Amino acid sequence: MVSFDITAFIDYVKPIAPHLILIVAALLAPAIGSRSEKMTAVFMTLAALSAIGVTAYMMYDGYTGTFAGMYSFNDFAGLMALLFLTVLSITSLMSVPGTERRRRNGEYFSLLAIATVGMMLVCSADELISLFIGIELASIMSFALVAMKKNDPRSSEAAVKYLITGGLSTALFIYGMSLIYGLTGTLNISGIIDHLAAADVTWSYMIATVTLLAGFGFKIGMVPFHAWVPDVYDGAPTPVTTFLAIGSKKMGFVVFFKIFLMLFMASHLITGTTHQLQWVFAILAAITMTVGNIVAVSQTSVKRMLAYSSIAQAGYILIVLPVATDYAMMGGLFYMIAHVFMKGGAFVVVAALAARGVGENISDYRGLSKRAPLLAFAMLLFLFSLAGIPPLVGFDAKFILFSSALEGGTWTWLVAVAVINSAISLYYYAKVVKAMYVDKGTTKDRLKIHFSFKVAVAVCAVAVVVIGVFPGPIIDLCGLGADAFLHP
Amino acid sequence: MDLFNDIPFMVLLLLVPLMGAVFAAFTHRNRNNAKWVAIIFSAVTLALTMVYAYVMATATVPYLDADSWTWIDTDYIVISFSLYVDGMSLLMMALTALLVLVVSIFSSSESNSANTFFALILAMEVGLMGVYMAHDYFLFYIFWEVTLIPMYFLISGWGGPRRHYAAIKFFIYTHVASLVMLIAIFAMATEAAAGGPLNFGFDEVKLALAGMDTFMQAALFGMLFLGFAAKMPLVPFHTWLPDAHVEAPTAGSVLLAGVMLKMGSYGIIRVCLDVFPEGAKAWQSAMIVIALVAIIYGAYACIAQNDLKKMVAFSSISHMGMVLLGIATLSSIGVSFAIFQMFAHGLITAVLFMVCGLVGHNAGTREISLLGGLAGKMPIFAAFMMFGFLASLGLPGLVGFVAEFGIIYSFFEYLQGTEYLWAVMFALASLLLTAGYYLWAMQRSIFGRETDKIDLSHVHDVSKPEGISMGIVCALIALFGLMPGIVMKVIETVQIAGVV
Repeated sequence: MVSFDITAFIDYVKPIAPHLILIVAALLAPAIGSRSEKMTAVFMTLAALSAIGVTAYMMYDGYTGTFAGMYSFNDFAGLMALLFLTVLSITSLMSVPGTERRRRNGEYFSLLAIATVGMMLVCSADELISLFIGIELASIMSFALVAMKKNDPRSSEAAVKYLITGGLSTALFIYGMSLIYGLTGTLNISGIIDHLAAADVTWSYMIATVTLLAGFGFKIGMVPFHAWVPDVYDGAPTPVTTFLAIGSKKMGFVVFFKIFLMLFMASHLITGTTHQLQWVFAILAAITMTVGNIVAVSQTSVKRMLAYSSIAQAGYILIVLPVATDYAMMGGLFYMIAHVFMKGGAFVVVAALAARGVGENISDYRGLSKRAPLLAFAMLLFLFSLAGIPPLVGFDAKFILFSSALEGGTWTWLVAVAVINSAISLYYYAKVVKAMYVDKGTTKDRLKIHFSFKVAVAVCAVAVVVIGVFPGPIIDLCGLGADAFLHP
Repeated sequence: MDLFNDIPFMVLLLLVPLMGAVFAAFTHRNRNNAKWVAIIFSAVTLALTMVYAYVMATATVPYLDADSWTWIDTDYIVISFSLYVDGMSLLMMALTALLVLVVSIFSSSESNSANTFFALILAMEVGLMGVYMAHDYFLFYIFWEVTLIPMYFLISGWGGPRRHYAAIKFFIYTHVASLVMLIAIFAMATEAAAGGPLNFGFDEVKLALAGMDTFMQAALFGMLFLGFAAKMPLVPFHTWLPDAHVEAPTAGSVLLAGVMLKMGSYGIIRVCLDVFPEGAKAWQSAMIVIALVAIIYGAYACIAQNDLKKMVAFSSISHMGMVLLGIATLSSIGVSFAIFQMFAHGLITAVLFMVCGLVGHNAGTREISLLGGLAGKMPIFAAFMMFGFLASLGLPGLVGFVAEFGIIYSFFEYLQGTEYLWAVMFALASLLLTAGYYLWAMQRSIFGRETDKIDLSHVHDVSKPEGISMGIVCALIALFGLMPGIVMKVIETVQIAGVV
């Protein structure tokens, strides 16, 4: 007799339990969406929050396990799942007023949820095919999301641009992956580590490295593969921009860390020698942060400025790769978490203002402190945090990441570049603050901000201050994540 | 006085102004409640500081107090909320508390968004108090940066016509310098950690770095020195100061010159000298040259100024150079009088900037060439101006004389028996220059024939709050000039490792 053992089944799917919650929610969302857009947004936020609860409980429980030999749940996967689910809840919350989209499209929330599932799968993937499935799941959903402002040609243009560059990057990294398979004969990450450590640097090895670097470089917006970022971020609906900036990009970093930190450098990390790739990444990090910051200075649109600052932030996080210590990895994770709240918060403010007809140019923000005092103050917190002013979370993040790079003395110059960049960034963030607080606006009408925006801004602002002042628990959490990632 | 022993003074001195700032921010924009909040809270802070000073003076170990709470404790990084007060900190804190009260009284007629204005002044006090108490590099850096933000808004919100330029220049200039300092702090902590968790405590870092080789000491000393020098500011890192001062509102200028510049010299003594005694020796001659250049350059630049406030700003550069000269002797007497000069300059410069603010406000211009014969129209004002200028040029009997006398004496003592004794002439020459530009400026602005270049018919004399606030400071200048022992007794107890 065939019987269904429910306990065994739960044990079997437990490693992907948070993912399953989202998949179910994604399937239900269009049904709810045909009735009320607001309800769908609330529903999706609640689904994300319940998935957060489940993930947090599993981490608290110390659970580790593997689903079908492809996806495992450990402290790292759990931590990143928490991050992506937070991104999903912030994005869903700010999508409630839905001014930038056609009404009643529940599929928008389904796409968001599925993309989040893709990102979470990337973090728990154990082998290259499952990694690729996760990346594609997230990417294809994002292409559609960018085009969501259906009657705005800028949105469609951004979507096409994103699709083409995204397609190219997929082609590049699938090619790189196939070369890796050819070199090692396995797709399993732990198997590849053993093979690559012994491999000679041949032409195929080099080509694999370069194609993978270029393919994933697109995803994180690393210079010189960054040209799509400002156009797509500018053209997409602001909630989607937020999702891409604080979500997709993190997925790109996880892939970067998985491929390069684990595969290529694993043996070097153990022996303590410097891999040539570390130099490549150090130079790329320096160039990325410098280009992002310098171009950001001349921007007049807040959204584009934030897009370029996003490129610069990617440069800071890239410091993890050349330094490649536990401490740096912890700092990288901390920076990603900090980035979710400060960058996310800044985009929520932009969206909240756009919903009330305030333009996206810096000059449109004049006199904002009189029109929406609390929102302006929150924006000030986010921008100062991005610039690394204490005691906000961005300062802690930079403090940890930069200090990690000083160990050993090889990367001191990189810290110097990062610090100079940090100073440059203060200039363009301060320009927005000045417009809000010092310049006189044309009108003094108070702005009525939608309640869900207020909640999203409040969550981000509280996180930026509280984690900034008490970073201890998050540092511990990131330490566990880094440990689980580097020493599986 | 067992009564006071259980009061956590250090925490209160941060909390009271912080609460004041929050209260002031929430008062009504157009009613003048904010000034009372600012006056009351800064008066309470000053009173607390005085009681604290009394408690410290009568303690078994006089003028030493420390407390520490764990803040961030992880496998990677250990940071504690660590506070420490010795004689030097106490003096600077007293100066901060005094000047914040004084500017709150002085600016009580401020009506342009008064709630934000006074909230910023009190927020500034939190940052300043924190810098002078912090005993953990992480905490120190946070307070160091926190002082920037209120000052940026004070200048760009309430300043003169070119305020935006001046504010952003001030912010970026000092922020960049602080970042260099931050790299040095990272390097110190990484060096001290030796593979263990990073620890940023002053004492822990000092202990771990005790055996560091001279080259590294000199390198780190140099990076930290750059951060502090831009704040002081020393030539050639001074260019932000005249702009910031000329554009800042009077309250901003007084706090900027009175206590914020002292953060730089405080840092040099507290961190550079104490942690890197060998580095200090390596940098000694360079410091002396920088100090002499700042003293002479600042004084020369003063002669050329037409704007009264810009002249006072440049005189600050000259006087802060004097502080560095005292520090650079690396002798106990030199450093003691450098600390005394920090205190003295804080008092004197407050009067000077209030005087400049009054001229600009009452006569409508600060251009010396347009002024003249103000003494007839504004006798009380002229008296304050004369008192301030004479104090600043080092008139015996006033506080500035004691400080400069001590510093030049210590410099002479340091040079004695070497072939460089002539260098003392530079320091002495500055006194002559200082006397020259002050007397000349006074001659042209308040004495002589009454000017016909501006309309003096509506000019009025000092108002009551302005008179009170300047009077308090002038009285203290005279008091400490006649009885410098009160302050020296506090300074004597300061222990700095690099000083012999």
